[in-house]
Amino acid sequence: MTSINPDKIVLDEEMQARNLDNSPIDLLEQIRQEGRCWEDLAPKWGVDNPEPPWKIWLEATCEVLADRNCALPALERRWEEDDLSEELYRDVPFPERQLLALAHLMIRRGLIDEKELAARTKIVEKRLHMAD
Amino acid sequence: MSNKPVYDREHHVKKATGIGDPQCFTGEAPAAKFKVGDQLRVRDLPDLFYTRTQTYLRGTACTVSAVVYESPAAEDESWDNTDKVEWFYSLVFKQSDLWPDYPSAFGNDTLETELPERWLESA
Amino acid sequence: MSDDHKHAPMVDEVSEFEILEIAVRELAIEKGLFTQEDHNKWTEYMHTLGPLPAARLVAKAWLDPEFKKLAVEDGVKASLEVGIDWIRTMPTQFGTPSDYCSFRVMEDTPTLKHVVVCTLCSCYPRPILGQSPEWYRTPNYRRRLVRWPRQVLSEFGLQLPEDVEVRVVDSNQKSRFIVLPVRPEGTEGWNEDQLTEIVTRDCLIGVAVPKPGKTANDPRPVRKALKPYDH
Repeated sequence: MTSINPDKIVLDEEMQARNLDNSPIDLLEQIRQEGRCWEDLAPKWGVDNPEPPWKIWLEATCEVLADRNCALPALERRWEEDDLSEELYRDVPFPERQLLALAHLMIRRGLIDEKELAARTKIVEKRLHMAD
Repeated sequence: MSNKPVYDREHHVKKATGIGDPQCFTGEAPAAKFKVGDQLRVRDLPDLFYTRTQTYLRGTACTVSAVVYESPAAEDESWDNTDKVEWFYSLVFKQSDLWPDYPSAFGNDTLETELPERWLESA
Repeated sequence: MSDDHKHAPMVDEVSEFEILEIAVRELAIEKGLFTQEDHNKWTEYMHTLGPLPAARLVAKAWLDPEFKKLAVEDGVKASLEVGIDWIRTMPTQFGTPSDYCSFRVMEDTPTLKHVVVCTLCSCYPRPILGQSPEWYRTPNYRRRLVRWPRQVLSEFGLQLPEDVEVRVVDSNQKSRFIVLPVRPEGTEGWNEDQLTEIVTRDCLIGVAVPKPGKTANDPRPVRKALKPYDH
């Protein structure tokens, strides 16, 4: 039999990915505790759509992350999402839970940086409130 | 060194676009070893890297309900080895064969799933 | 403003989650993980997805024995009649690892009831049934359905007699599945649109059976798995 070197490297990466660090992340903890969920907002404003409008963009983000460059393979995302949804984010309603899990695993995988994300949320918040 | 052909990254895309996957592997597998109605058993093979043959099926008797499509097995395809195409079968298991303590009152209950040929042998 | 000129109500405040979603997406695009163009393409496709084509496929099969035969033998071909091209409507034009193009319609009989699960991840016939519900993706459903199908179905409000064979379909390779349930009593003389209305998403997964007058899914339990799991 030939050597298994190239596969071995990929395997190590995969195994590492499966041992995701699921300890809390400050930025996401704050959003988890203080964030307003769709299931509270919708009745408050008399909206009966069961899902927030941003859910479809979240879903598209998950798809394209696994597309072309494959920055985040779908199967690994699903595994990590399951772990985080059952533990750290279990008390958050869906789909907010899925969003927190995605942001969490992207930070832990080094795809985005926590500080950068924190700064960006500030910028986005400011932009969205400009119309107020 | 193996004689494995070297493909570019777009190989699968080019092959499957407009045709579909697993349709793009049609005609590439050797003749199917089994047919509908055959009594088989799931082999208990080691899985070193990646598999989609669940542990709960290993060693269990089953009946072929359909010969479904040709495709590389997940064990190969997950490493981008797509040259060894084989037949996939839809198999029906008795729940009481899968789980020893399955309630006897529901002895008719079954489970159906698909597996590639390499995981199957005649019972 | 009079009642018939009311605007549809909308949520007029920005939530922290809405902000987070945008921030994650913008950063990912800037880092080149994907392009805005690809994201738009998928969003557009996602908007077209839902369980309606699968419901219509079932209604057609109930009304036309020839179509039922085609659906059971070649689900991909039968899907074309309800406007779903498994191969060419995907943004990738060939399916993706989560949407392979083998589609099978599992026919129930009065003594055989199918119910679908993916024990390995959460494979689901998205092109024809839309996004899977959250409970379908939970480890609890995935692990328990194959082992204790009747218990799980009871939790979903579906109790089946002993003489009905419950067949769990584990969608673990390249085929995606829907259930073709038995046409219920009380629907004699109904047309395709009427029948389509009672074939809910849950009936197509197999955790419910169609009933005249029932056109929506019940709220479903999302439970944590009892034992910690290890992939």
